[in-house]
Amino acid sequence: MTDERPPVTEDDLHAYVDGFLDEDRRREVEAWLKDHPKEAADVAAWQAQAADLKAAFSPYARLDEADNAMVHPAPSPTTNTPWRKAAILAASLVLFLSGAAVGIYADRTLGYSVSVETASALESLPAQSKSAFLIYASEKRHPVEVGADQQEHLVTWLGKRLDYKLVAPDLRSQGYSLVGGRLVPVNGKAGAMLMYENAAGQRLTMLLGKNPENAETSFRFESAGPLETFYWIDGSIGYAVTGELGRAELQAIAEECYRQFES
Amino acid sequence: MPHAPDEGFRAKGATPPSTDAFETEVLSLVPSLRRYSRSLAKSDTDGEDLLQDCVEKVLVRRSQWRGINLRAWAFTIMTNLYRDRHRRTSQHPSVELNDTLGLTAEDASGDPLEKTRLQRALNALTADHRTVLMLVVVEGYGYQDVADMLSIPIGTVMSRLSRARRQMAAQLAQNNIVTLRRPK
Repeated sequence: MTDERPPVTEDDLHAYVDGFLDEDRRREVEAWLKDHPKEAADVAAWQAQAADLKAAFSPYARLDEADNAMVHPAPSPTTNTPWRKAAILAASLVLFLSGAAVGIYADRTLGYSVSVETASALESLPAQSKSAFLIYASEKRHPVEVGADQQEHLVTWLGKRLDYKLVAPDLRSQGYSLVGGRLVPVNGKAGAMLMYENAAGQRLTMLLGKNPENAETSFRFESAGPLETFYWIDGSIGYAVTGELGRAELQAIAEECYRQFES
Repeated sequence: MPHAPDEGFRAKGATPPSTDAFETEVLSLVPSLRRYSRSLAKSDTDGEDLLQDCVEKVLVRRSQWRGINLRAWAFTIMTNLYRDRHRRTSQHPSVELNDTLGLTAEDASGDPLEKTRLQRALNALTADHRTVLMLVVVEGYGYQDVADMLSIPIGTVMSRLSRARRQMAAQLAQNNIVTLRRPK
C-alpha cells in the first residue's frame, strides 16, 4: 500500500491498547490493523489481558479499617490530640462523663454514656471522611457513581445498603448543590458518600456509616491542613462532612444537614 | 479548589506539611498503593506485607521527599522494595498453590480458574517486566512517567512492556484460555 501515513510501529500498537494515541493516529492504527490480522490478534490478546488485570486488581483499591493505624503509627503521648486521648480512655472502660472529659465528650444529653464500640467507630469517622474527600472530590470524570439527576434512585439505593431512610440534604440555601453519591466502605461495612458542589466548583463530601449501636453525640470537628471535618453520631448512623473551607461555613452546613436528617 | 492529592502541596510555601497533613496525604494514597502491591505480589498476604513495608518507608523517609508528586514517589519506593524482595526470593523459587488461589478470595464473582491462571502467568514474569506492565495497565501511568519513576530510558519501558505482554499472552494461550472478548 502506498500512502503518506507514518508506518505503524509496535510502540503504536501498545499506545493503541493503552489509549495513549490521539484520535487521528488511533484511526490510522485501527485501519492498519484491518490489513494485518496477525498484529490484530496480538492487540486483541493484549486488550483482553489488560481488562483481566484491571478486573483482578481494582477491588484492592480500598481503605481497610487498620489503614489509619498503619499511617499513624503509635502516637507518642505528647502528640495525642484531645479526642484521641478520649478514645484511648474510652477503649479501656465504658466511659461515663466525668469532670475531666467534659468538653471532649460533652454530649447533647449530659450524663450520656459512650461505649467502647461507639467511641472507636467515632474515632475513625473523620479520618475516613477525609480520605473520601481527598480521593473523590478531586476526581474530574467519575467523582460519583450515581449523579444527582437520578437523586431518587441514589437515595433509595444507598439507603437500602445502609438499612436507613436516607435523605440527601438540600444545601441550596448554603450555595451547594448535589453532585451525586457512591457506595463506600465505612468501618468495614457499606456506607454512603454524598458530594456537593458550589457555583465556584468547590466540593464537599458527606460520609454516612452504620454505627454499631444507637448513640447520640455532639458535633466534633477536626482540622488537617486545609481540610475541616465535622462529625457526629445520631442514632444508628455516624455522619461526617469534610470540605476545604472555613470552619464557620462548614459548621453551618453540618448543622443544616443535621436539621434535615432529623425530620 | 478541590484538593489534588497528587500535586505537591508543599511547592507553594516554604513550610513543610505538618505530620498530620502528611499522614493524611499518605492515607489517601493507600487504596492505589494496595492495588499496586497486590498486583506485584504472589498472594494477598504478600501484598499486604509489601504495602506495610512501603508505608513505613514513606513515613520514615518523609524528610527526603522533595514536595512534588507524593504518589509517584511512593510508587517508586514500593517498586524498589518489591525488586529487592524478588531478588531475595527468586533464589529459592517456590510454587505455592494456595498462594495462587489467594486472588480468588477477594472477588467471588470472577471465574476462579481463570484468575489462578492469570496469577500463574504473572508469577512467571520477571520483576522488571511485571512492574512496567502493572504501572501502565493497572495504574494507568504514561510511558514517560514510568521511565521517570524507574529511572530507565523510555525505550526500555517499551521493550519491557512488549515482552511482558507477549510472554503473558503465550503463557495464557498455553493454559488454554480462550479469549471471548472482542476488541472495542
